[in-house]
Amino acid sequence: MTAALGQAPAAPSDSPTARRARRRVGDRPLLLIALSALVAAAVLLPLVFLLVQAQSSGVDTIAKLMWRRLTAQLLWNTVQLSVVVTALCAVIGTGAAWLIERTDLPGRRIWAVLVVVPMAIPDFVVSFGWASLSTWVHGFRGAVLVMTLAVYPLVYLPVAASLRNADPAQEEVSRSLGAGRLRTFWRITIGQARVAILGGCLLVVLALLAEYGAFEILGYQTFTTEIFTEFSVSFNVPAASALSLVLVALGMLVLAAESAGRVRGRISRVDRGAQRATGRHRLGWWAIPALLAMAALAALALGMPIGSAIYWWVSSTNAPFTGVSILDAALHTAAYSASAAAVTTLAALPVGVLAVRHDGRVRRLIERSTYLVMAMPGLVIALALSYFSENYGGGLWYQTAPMLVVAYSVLFFPLALVGVRASVAQAPVGLEDIARSLGQSRIKVLLRVTIPLVGPGLAAAFCLVFLSAVTELTATLILVPTGVQTLATQFWNYQQNLAYGQAAPFALAMIVIAAVPSYLLGRFFDRLPARKAQQS
Amino acid sequence: MNVKISALHKGFGPHPVLRGVSLEVPQGTFTAVLGPSGSGKTTLLRAVAGFGRPEEGTIEIGGRVVDGDGVFVPPSRRGIGYVPQEGSLFPHLDIAANIGFGLPRGQRKARVAELLELIGMADLGHRYPHQLSGGQQQRVALVRALAPGPSLVLLDEPFSSLDAGLRASVRADVREILRDFDMTAILVTHDQDEALSMADQVVVLRDGVVVQQGAPQELYDNPADQRLARFVGDANLVIGVLAGEKVRSVLGTLPTRAVDGLDDGSRVTALVRPEQIKILPEGDGDLAGSVVSCEYFGHDTLLSITPDSDGADPLIVRTGFEGSLPVGTRVSLAVSGAVTVWPAA
Repeated sequence: MTAALGQAPAAPSDSPTARRARRRVGDRPLLLIALSALVAAAVLLPLVFLLVQAQSSGVDTIAKLMWRRLTAQLLWNTVQLSVVVTALCAVIGTGAAWLIERTDLPGRRIWAVLVVVPMAIPDFVVSFGWASLSTWVHGFRGAVLVMTLAVYPLVYLPVAASLRNADPAQEEVSRSLGAGRLRTFWRITIGQARVAILGGCLLVVLALLAEYGAFEILGYQTFTTEIFTEFSVSFNVPAASALSLVLVALGMLVLAAESAGRVRGRISRVDRGAQRATGRHRLGWWAIPALLAMAALAALALGMPIGSAIYWWVSSTNAPFTGVSILDAALHTAAYSASAAAVTTLAALPVGVLAVRHDGRVRRLIERSTYLVMAMPGLVIALALSYFSENYGGGLWYQTAPMLVVAYSVLFFPLALVGVRASVAQAPVGLEDIARSLGQSRIKVLLRVTIPLVGPGLAAAFCLVFLSAVTELTATLILVPTGVQTLATQFWNYQQNLAYGQAAPFALAMIVIAAVPSYLLGRFFDRLPARKAQQS
Repeated sequence: MNVKISALHKGFGPHPVLRGVSLEVPQGTFTAVLGPSGSGKTTLLRAVAGFGRPEEGTIEIGGRVVDGDGVFVPPSRRGIGYVPQEGSLFPHLDIAANIGFGLPRGQRKARVAELLELIGMADLGHRYPHQLSGGQQQRVALVRALAPGPSLVLLDEPFSSLDAGLRASVRADVREILRDFDMTAILVTHDQDEALSMADQVVVLRDGVVVQQGAPQELYDNPADQRLARFVGDANLVIGVLAGEKVRSVLGTLPTRAVDGLDDGSRVTALVRPEQIKILPEGDGDLAGSVVSCEYFGHDTLLSITPDSDGADPLIVRTGFEGSLPVGTRVSLAVSGAVTVWPAA
């Protein structure tokens, strides 16, 4: 007999969102699955290239190319840099996020912008800014300095978002259980942000693995710089692809490690009650060193590269600045980047819809496989596309605009998918059902409900890809149509010829073009309601 | 508009969810479909709305077949209002635009003002959904569904996401608004209090079949089986022996409601609701026992009392008068009213 009052022994109802997602399993979205599979296959083409190449060269050749002193040296260079830079980024990114999201630091809104803007400055421009002014910035120490300043926002952004949405009561509970401030910070605050920190570190390592331009300027040799040299200087394709195999394997290792760490990081919250505003820690006199640290960070990460570019531009005397060439390069950059952004967003749409609205093994397989692209640097993707064009397409499209656009689309597919997923989640099926029950036809539902809800997110995905394509150098150098210059390639040519004064305006143009979409992006992701963030 | 559902079947993959559901909802009444999660109640509601098609069976609304016999009327032309669990207001539209969503452009302004007035939110039309409390959101979701003048309103657990305190008042508001509109409504819920207190008729769904259909009191007093008896409220299930129209048990000889098909002298299980047991001063009643636990709620008290007879389970007793009784208090018990019996297992 039940002794509980008024409570019939009804089974606890599961969460409405989970149930809604599962409800759709019945009707199989065959067209959607077919489209998504097609996209996944296209995106995974570079991986196929590596395997085909490895197979055709034979295991012995590959093994011989791999077991060289050079490989060991490159591996050591890459690993030691990854470890040091990732650790520094984790500390700086998490520290800045905590100061801005959890304390009463003066001028938080301004700092929040200044800390993120370095995202819009290409790594090779940061590298140029430092290396052109000081010979001290060189080799390993130069690479550590430059890459830390260039990529720490990759940790800052997810950690700031997670601290903003974290449950402040947990810190209070920890304090009430007798844990001191420091212990609470380590056990609870860092614990809450752990998945985000891990995710940010993953992005940092992947960025380090893929970087070419910055290391080339600093004279620091990694897998990517070596692959580039083998391919475009020595034209040694087997050697380049053997090294690529190691590089991609490293990337996959990092991906696997991150997803293993993510599984243990589930966060549970019992109630569904409204969340209180996060309480802020009072810094008191600590505000002064905190402000100094933030100012130093902004000066080094933002002031230095921009200041250096302006200095070179202003002090340049040798050749008069030609506005025509920069306009021409900017137009090409904008055209390629915008086409790539449109293609990528469209390609991500079926996969995103499948991921958010449907469940099942096929969906997970497709989504996971597109995730693997993250381990593939732009250089490898460019190699793969030129290989396929040369061997199966009779040179078709090689160094043409469509091929560059395809390369960008593959490279930035995971970015677009993030934005598309977030935007599809803004328009749950339930809302469309209601609109239908209110007498609206399918077309009208699309116009009045789905597009207004999904539109901003798709625009954000577009911006994200556009911004990344504008500042892409490595794949562009290989695939850019003959006789055409983009901002990045023209900058690179001048920089290689030590024509800093002529390179500088191209760097500034890239920063300006990339800054607008990154500002819009920041606005979009800030506005996503917390409810949606919790669901995903 | 009356609704008639016959022999509805629907499954997701290999799992049948609805297995021949038939029910009728008379015009202007409020019907609650009560069932635990996974019983198929939401699937049933969505089939009526036209969001998911059943594999077999027919659905008629106002005498017109909307699904079945080769006919399928899309949700946009069924004239059905739908209020989902989370309210699901359109987040990109303000409250006035949400309410006016299903109205032709010309009528919007006047009708929206009228409906905002009705729910006491006349000056909140320019607010956005996230600026409203949960209760306000549900009220808006209801009038949004009512605005185009539907013939039937479907409510899919619309109160479950509200706080307990708010839930009662929003329920009362919704009931009143629906009565004002003389609206036929179907509510889906897993909360028996909600079903019993709001509905004219309750349909109990379990594992995709209708277990019982009737007025709330019929369901509470005379449930179809023991599981249902426990589902709709606290229940004392007492073993006894049938003697004519009565049942002899530890609680004395009790009158039964119906003994159709049961042999005289057979063992039965009798349902005694906690409210049927009265507490008397020690020595006055048919049965003596002592209090083993006591939960005091102000408006009533829930006691657990172990009878003196050997091996008897503790009885749940709800009483409004005695107030709080200390554990160990000796009491006598008496049962009033008729009981429902089933053959003992």
